[in-house]
Amino acid sequence: MYLKELTELDGVSGNEQQVREFISDKIKDKVDELKVDVLGNLIAYRKGTKGGRKIVLAAHMDEVGFMVTNIEDDGTLAFAPVGGVETQVMVGKIVRINGQTLGAIGYKAIHIQDKEQILKPLSIDQLRVYIGAKSKEEAARQVKIGDYVAFTTTFDQENNRLTGKAFDDRAGCSVLMDIIDKIDRYEDDVYFAFLVQEEVGLRGSAVVVEQIHPDIAIVIEGTTAGDDPELPEYQWATHLGDGPAITFMHRGYVVNKRVYESIIEVAEKYSIAHQAKRRTAGGTDAARFARTGAGTAAAVVSVPSRYIHSPVSMIDLNDYNNTVLLLQKILEQGEAFAR
Amino acid sequence: MIDLIRKLTEAYGPSGREEEVHNLILQELEGHVDGYKFDNVGNLLVWKAGTTGKKVLFDAHADEIGLVVTNIDERGFLRVESVGGVPPHSYVGHRVRFPNAIGVVYVEGETEEERKKNFTNLNLDNMFVDIGARNRDEAMKVVPIGSFGIYDSHFFKNGDLLISKSMDDRIGCAIIVEILRRVKKPRNTIIGSFTVQEEVGLIGASVAAYSLVPDVCVAVDVTDSSDYPKSFKRHSMALGKGPAIKIKDRASISNRGVVEKLIEVAEQEKIPYQMEVLTFGGTNAAALQRTRAGIPSATVSIATRYVHSPSEIVSLEDVENTVELLINYAGKGV
Repeated sequence: MYLKELTELDGVSGNEQQVREFISDKIKDKVDELKVDVLGNLIAYRKGTKGGRKIVLAAHMDEVGFMVTNIEDDGTLAFAPVGGVETQVMVGKIVRINGQTLGAIGYKAIHIQDKEQILKPLSIDQLRVYIGAKSKEEAARQVKIGDYVAFTTTFDQENNRLTGKAFDDRAGCSVLMDIIDKIDRYEDDVYFAFLVQEEVGLRGSAVVVEQIHPDIAIVIEGTTAGDDPELPEYQWATHLGDGPAITFMHRGYVVNKRVYESIIEVAEKYSIAHQAKRRTAGGTDAARFARTGAGTAAAVVSVPSRYIHSPVSMIDLNDYNNTVLLLQKILEQGEAFAR
Repeated sequence: MIDLIRKLTEAYGPSGREEEVHNLILQELEGHVDGYKFDNVGNLLVWKAGTTGKKVLFDAHADEIGLVVTNIDERGFLRVESVGGVPPHSYVGHRVRFPNAIGVVYVEGETEEERKKNFTNLNLDNMFVDIGARNRDEAMKVVPIGSFGIYDSHFFKNGDLLISKSMDDRIGCAIIVEILRRVKKPRNTIIGSFTVQEEVGLIGASVAAYSLVPDVCVAVDVTDSSDYPKSFKRHSMALGKGPAIKIKDRASISNRGVVEKLIEVAEQEKIPYQMEVLTFGGTNAAALQRTRAGIPSATVSIATRYVHSPSEIVSLEDVENTVELLINYAGKGV
């Protein structure tokens, strides 16, 4: 499991090199081929014993974050979100700019806020990153317009629950790396695709199908839990501890029925805990795999994660381990899978 | 052809679950095509070889809008979300058909005030489906989470008007089947693509033309008819005016060469037609035209009243004229 290392790296969409280098370094001696494509996707390949079919396992390396849009006269930084982040989760957070400079996203103390405004969403135009610089010139020595800004949460484990940033989708990256560590060769050719720029519009995955022409793609995600005790259970998307979430449909795509049903069959055959992803909002790279080139039978398996797209998210260790196990068993089925 | 339309519109085929429609089409086309295949995402592609080496692809999507079960409560009531653009009001008090059950859709509301509010701001989040189950386990056996449902609605004919659910786009499927049955020896090869998952995101059409590389594509789909009380006043389309040759909608602009050719063919053959500019919506032409290095593509539409409702209405005369137009276009289009 590489979750601690992976989640403590910065990799806001378009700036995935730290993550890519970490993964590449760890897996390069364990796969038959490794390459970085034009968009920056890292694609590893392990030849199958039969080599009849091509299966892609994919996870995205990028996380949501921000970018510096201007350095103000007073040395504070204007910034814009990269991917879907709400202003509510920004205030009061420590951020890292370009992997080095620390800053804080501050706002007025509660004492001087207008009572009517408290708890109402702020506009990003009301927020700045403070890096301790007293002037534009001083700030410009440390940061530039266009610098990436990432959350800085460190990884922690309490009992079976893990907290950290960017489980969406470093959890998926770590699952793929764990599977690579299991040195088994499978019947099918397996490609491990670590993708860029998912959070800004499924961009990295748009060029993968043409490079591989896969038969099946399984996207591994850190997905919404939404098991908020204030909501009725029938509105939860997933529940921590109930096992990997298997998606039947999400925004823009109904998961290939054959692959979806086969995943459930495998989970049941080996008594691996699993649950349906019970909301259809949000999309994944599976939609892109399905609608690119000659098309791919694409599916999604996720580690349920609370509070995604915020500085701190939480997953359950059993869910994580069961996700690895489920995918391993899927690959072990060889040609019997999704026939 | 009426019987064909009845069978196709009554078939079960929400996005991602198009098998029944595909099987029906293959059955209806038996002996009328030279070959068929299913591609990676489940599109059904059929073809009838011509002699020129040129290929014309006619596309209709096999899927229809619907609901999908996302949750089941302890008393056996289902929670659903939409598959494609479902207007929630169409489902209030209406029936939804799952593969193994029929359910009734209704609206929550614990007080008169709340019910009134929920009825005016209809949202699937405060609606539910009753399949008559006594508890969660009983419901799960019949309609497991992830089951897809459609309008439980039937076909009937009212003079020249044909009324059914999922005219969008089984009427397109019926037209292409009819073309392939009527053309005995095509000049150009005719490909029929019966694509999946149009309603959720043009999934099927994004890849359907990739393997057979046609020279031109025509999507055959429905368009909003503006001939009922207080219908869209900025639109011109109406039932009975003939096939609508689309110039533009929000997702694509038809290839001008294809549009001109369609008009030329209609004029030559004295087939009535109307021009279409739709200010919203989109068809598979948007995805087909972006395949590989680009394929000249257009849409020919059937004017349809009450699109995405359980009772979509088309004119049989328009349908017949569309078949004629496209048969002639298939021979002369490229």
